[in-house]
Amino acid sequence: MQSNAALEYDYSVAKLFTYTAILFGLVGMLLGTLIAAQMAFPELNYLFGQYGTFSRLRPLHTNVVIYGFTVSGVFATFYYSAQRVLKVSMAESKFIMFVGKLQFGLYLIAATGMVVTLLLGITTTKEYAQMEWPLDILIVLIWVLWGVAMFALIGIRREKALYISMWYYIACFLGVAMLYLFNNMEVPTYFASGGIGSMWHSVSMYSGTNDALVQWWWGHNAVAFVFTVPIVAMIYYFLPKESGQAVYSYKLSLLSFWGLMFVYLWAGSHHLLWSTVPDWMQTMGSVFSVVLILPSWGSAINMLLTMKGEWNQLTENPLIKFMVLASTFYMLSTLEGPIQAIKSVNAIAHFTDWIPGHVHDGVLGWVAFMIMAALFHMAPRMFKREIYSRKLIEAQFWIQTTAVVLYFTSMWIAGITQGMMWRAVDEYGNLMYSFIDTVTVLHPYYAIRALAGVLYVTGFVMFAYNMIKTMTSSKVLTEEPQFKSPMA
Amino acid sequence: MFHWLEKNPFFFAVGVFLVIAFAGLVEILPNFAEASRPVVGLKPYTVLQLAGKNVYMKDQCIACHSQLIRPFKAETDRYGQYSLSGEYAYDRPFLWGSKRTGPDLHRVGNYRTTEWHENHMWDPTSVVPGSIMPAYKHMFSNAADIATAYAEAVTVKNVFHTPYGDDIKAGKKAWEAYRPKVLAEAKKIAANMKNKDVKDAVNAGKVPEIVALIAYLNSLGSSRYEANKVK
Amino acid sequence: MNALMIKGLLFAAVLIGATIFVVESMHIDLSDPINLITMIGAIAIAVLTVGVSIKYINQMKTDTASGELTDENWDGIGEYKNELPSGWAYSFLGTIIWALWYWTMGYPVNAFSQIGQYNAEVKTYNQKFEEMHKNADKATLQQMGESIFLVQCASCHGVTGDGLSGKAQDFGSRMTKEQVLYTIKHGSNQLGFQMGAMPPMMAQGKDAEEIAAWIAGGMKGKQPAAFATCASCHGPDGKGMNGMAPDLAGYNETLVKHVLDHGKTGEIGRMPSFKTMLTPIQDKALAVYIQSLSN
Ligand code: HEC
Ligand code: HEC
Ligand code: HEC
Ligand code: HEM
Ligand code: HEM
Ligand SMILES: [Ca+2]
Ligand SMILES: [Ca+2]
Ligand SMILES: [Cu+2]
Repeated sequence: MQSNAALEYDYSVAKLFTYTAILFGLVGMLLGTLIAAQMAFPELNYLFGQYGTFSRLRPLHTNVVIYGFTVSGVFATFYYSAQRVLKVSMAESKFIMFVGKLQFGLYLIAATGMVVTLLLGITTTKEYAQMEWPLDILIVLIWVLWGVAMFALIGIRREKALYISMWYYIACFLGVAMLYLFNNMEVPTYFASGGIGSMWHSVSMYSGTNDALVQWWWGHNAVAFVFTVPIVAMIYYFLPKESGQAVYSYKLSLLSFWGLMFVYLWAGSHHLLWSTVPDWMQTMGSVFSVVLILPSWGSAINMLLTMKGEWNQLTENPLIKFMVLASTFYMLSTLEGPIQAIKSVNAIAHFTDWIPGHVHDGVLGWVAFMIMAALFHMAPRMFKREIYSRKLIEAQFWIQTTAVVLYFTSMWIAGITQGMMWRAVDEYGNLMYSFIDTVTVLHPYYAIRALAGVLYVTGFVMFAYNMIKTMTSSKVLTEEPQFKSPMA
Repeated sequence: MFHWLEKNPFFFAVGVFLVIAFAGLVEILPNFAEASRPVVGLKPYTVLQLAGKNVYMKDQCIACHSQLIRPFKAETDRYGQYSLSGEYAYDRPFLWGSKRTGPDLHRVGNYRTTEWHENHMWDPTSVVPGSIMPAYKHMFSNAADIATAYAEAVTVKNVFHTPYGDDIKAGKKAWEAYRPKVLAEAKKIAANMKNKDVKDAVNAGKVPEIVALIAYLNSLGSSRYEANKVK
Repeated sequence: MNALMIKGLLFAAVLIGATIFVVESMHIDLSDPINLITMIGAIAIAVLTVGVSIKYINQMKTDTASGELTDENWDGIGEYKNELPSGWAYSFLGTIIWALWYWTMGYPVNAFSQIGQYNAEVKTYNQKFEEMHKNADKATLQQMGESIFLVQCASCHGVTGDGLSGKAQDFGSRMTKEQVLYTIKHGSNQLGFQMGAMPPMMAQGKDAEEIAAWIAGGMKGKQPAAFATCASCHGPDGKGMNGMAPDLAGYNETLVKHVLDHGKTGEIGRMPSFKTMLTPIQDKALAVYIQSLSN
């Protein structure tokens, strides 16, 4: 065992990404609430002229929450926890500090570019890969810098074996690198045509069914390597750390990790069921999705069992509440997903609101809960002040939990109803409902979802306020807390 | 062995990479050549239609509309013949979508018309009461980027051998020579429209976004491979 | 069972109950296999997630942490050498065995064809419904026509068939004066009637005006003399001479079928063809329904 001699960790990069996580989280969720409201009340489409329609704002929402909020959260927690589990300080290497800061600088440029271009309608349209080629190049650069920082830190580590969180951060780095590159292979038309038209425009290297395959190989694994793998990294660090409990089982960690790595990649074709990709690929995707339940649940169960006997922590520490509930929402989405991947179920679920429902019990209940809890845990250590208000966190927890429940239940009912209405035939064998019937019937559920958005954003504003207060005006700590985060 | 990997990050990373790269090789590569073959008689999009496709992408209609008719009776009754892989051979990117807030559009050219789209894009509720689709009035005044669409045609012809005619070639001169053909096609669409600003713009040699978009929407269906039309 | 588990399962039950209630209120047939499997899937999601997660959360109350720690410790985080939870391990093994069985024996990956399944679905459907309605009576046809109309036609012709203030044909009456004048001026060769084309300019000026007004007025009152030219094809009563040319007086079955097969371009604009989308019985039903709209 290593001695616990004090090491001054350097959190400057982690802090920078903390700020952007809060900023983009707020913007992204406000946009989510706006587009949710637009589906219930279409008059809201015209707030900003052509830049305010649902269709312009929807990709902006997904990109800001993914590349702005989630990815910032991933970088922030990485630069925080990697130093600690590897037992090295970034201050020990000027090179790593430089790479980290450069990465942040480029990140800020890319994120700004992303927001501007998507608002202008400059997009390659493939979901979660909308950014055009100049931004793609920038993203690759940022990612490479992250890899350099990661492996440089690993190179000078004092802790011989890698902690579980590091496995997942490494996997996140590699998985995204590989998939992003392949899916964004595109030819800029300006250069291929002798200088005609827009510099920004490009065409995909792949066409039709092939493009779909590559896209969902990425799309599904963007979920895996952005919304799952690094978040699992977070929970493996922050839950044991905040609670002071040892991880329940090394074996379970091990099997879950390698199981997840192996199985996840095969499941991508569940986004293409009943499409024109060959039947055998669809079957592969479907079957592997079901197998995927267990490696996913493995991590969640491992975390729940880590809290064995710690009921009092669950009731007393709101950060533990966030993380335990995050595990259960993770279980919900990783069971719901596989069931939706069964071909017969997908015949109903695909294209309906049940899918965004599934998405948001993952992203709101799992991803965002984990990121917020992690940033709360980091704040007293990074800013050397106690968390501004515990009451506020408690209130935030209940408001946001209500929001997630409203979101996924309303979209669950809406999606199943819509999917079944599309298929319904009357006694004459004719389609029972015109398309617009299946739209108007959803109005109440869209309204409930918009309300859920308002609640969730309210909670996020409370989070942001609490964080800012913690950074600036809360009680100063003289000593770094070992486990439980101090809060007023 | 795993514990050894955990102490040797390089090999750990290699291990992870191999495990995750494997699936892509098995699932994607075998079908690559097969899936890019066009159906018999498939024509590439015209330059105007490409410009319309880019409007469709710019305004992200894909946020609400799919272009993939699955082989279910309920779906073929509503939208027409199920989609075939070869119909998409010239689609870069594919535009299948993943959400149907609005109906599928893969064969909308078969059962909607220029006139209808004009009414609908200007004010969807005027033809479909209760519609939650936004009105796209700005498309009636914004100019479509037909130069970029031409550049796209040149690119896919030269790089991916999409079968365009000899008049599609690189260079500004070739584009200037080609431009009248785009305008002629736009005129045909505008002739069926009522909006005066649109008609004036087309007569003045400009192509509003709506004209290009309608050209694209009309092409969605079986008309691009008429010879092979599925009954 | 403890209180938390009961509350959780109650939540699952409420969610499922609400789903079934809403779906039933839309007259959905839950015995349809796809609908049924979906509903079972939904129940499985709700019950298993709640059940399993609460099972483990309960252990926070009832159990205590124990076991042998590994040698490592990262930033104060230790790790137990505990065995795998057996439920999890057996389920994992079970799904792996199931997957292998599925590919090799259950549904070998190359054995299923979604297009084959589609063809079978269409066949069963046709057997069921086309047989059933082969000899449908008029009232049935009219209702059937309405159900098709609302899905396929209402987005242009309006839910009531009023043509949405001139955006498409108003079925309240056959043709407006402008429409008739338009055809007289341009002629017509698109509907595929036996007679073939109608030449342009069969009547002019005041004659044309009179004819058009008379046809638009429902062919009541005195027939204008100039209609004689028209009568040679459309018949003295304007009813199209048994399908040789279009019926100008109303919506007979032949006319509707021709419009549906060929589409129609006229004064209002263009209507697309529905040839590939409707069956003969559906064409007939639509004709009956449209007749019921006009007076
Ligand atoms: C907010 C969601 C939304 C967006 C964004 C949207 N639509 Fe729609 N669209 C709908 C809905 C709902 C319907 C069905 C009601 C109707 O016909 O208006 C529809 C119907 C249509 C139809 C008629 C299809 C048919 O079979 O009747 C067309 C064509 C269409 N949209 C084209 C577009 C285009 C082009 C865009 C982008 C510029 C677009 N839509 C953007 C929601 C949307
Ligand atoms: C040579 C035969 C012939 C004569 C003479 C003729 N028609 Fe026609 N008419 C047709 C045919 C055939 C059609 C269907 C054309 C098509 O397929 O589009 C038709 C179509 C029409 C239609 C359109 C019906 C619809 O629903 O689209 C109108 C209105 C009409 N005729 C009125 C007249 C009038 C008024 C006259 C006399 C001034 C006239 N026709 C003289 C053969 C004739
Ligand atoms: C995309 C819009 C559109 C759709 C969908 C549509 N129609 Fe039409 N329809 C029109 C227009 C426009 C006209 C008028 C053409 C003209 O005379 O200018 C028309 C004309 C007709 C006519 C001829 C009326 C006459 O007096 O000549 C019939 C019959 C008809 N429609 C029936 C139907 C039926 C039945 C359906 C559904 C299966 C349908 N239409 C769907 C646009 C549409
Ligand atoms: C075992 C794990 C999972 C499986 C098997 C799975 C399966 C699925 C399926 C079948 C779809 C619907 C495809 C469609 O019909 O359109 C889907 C969509 C989606 N899922 Fe999951 N899911 C899993 C976990 C998750 C998690 C944990 C998250 C997020 C935190 C997530 C986020 C998404 C997203 C964003 C989409 C939407 C993709 C799109 O844009 O269409 N999934 N998933
Ligand atoms: C205030 C909270 C939020 C609200 C109200 C909200 C609302 C929405 C809405 C209305 C959609 C479009 C659904 C549709 O087209 O039918 C959507 C899509 C999406 N949102 Fe959110 N969102 C919120 C937060 C988030 C967060 C925090 C994330 C990720 C971390 C996220 C990720 C996504 C993704 C990936 C999609 C695309 C889903 C798909 O294509 O299937 N959202 N959101
Ligand atoms: Ca891109
Ligand atoms: Ca999507
Ligand atoms: Cu997926």
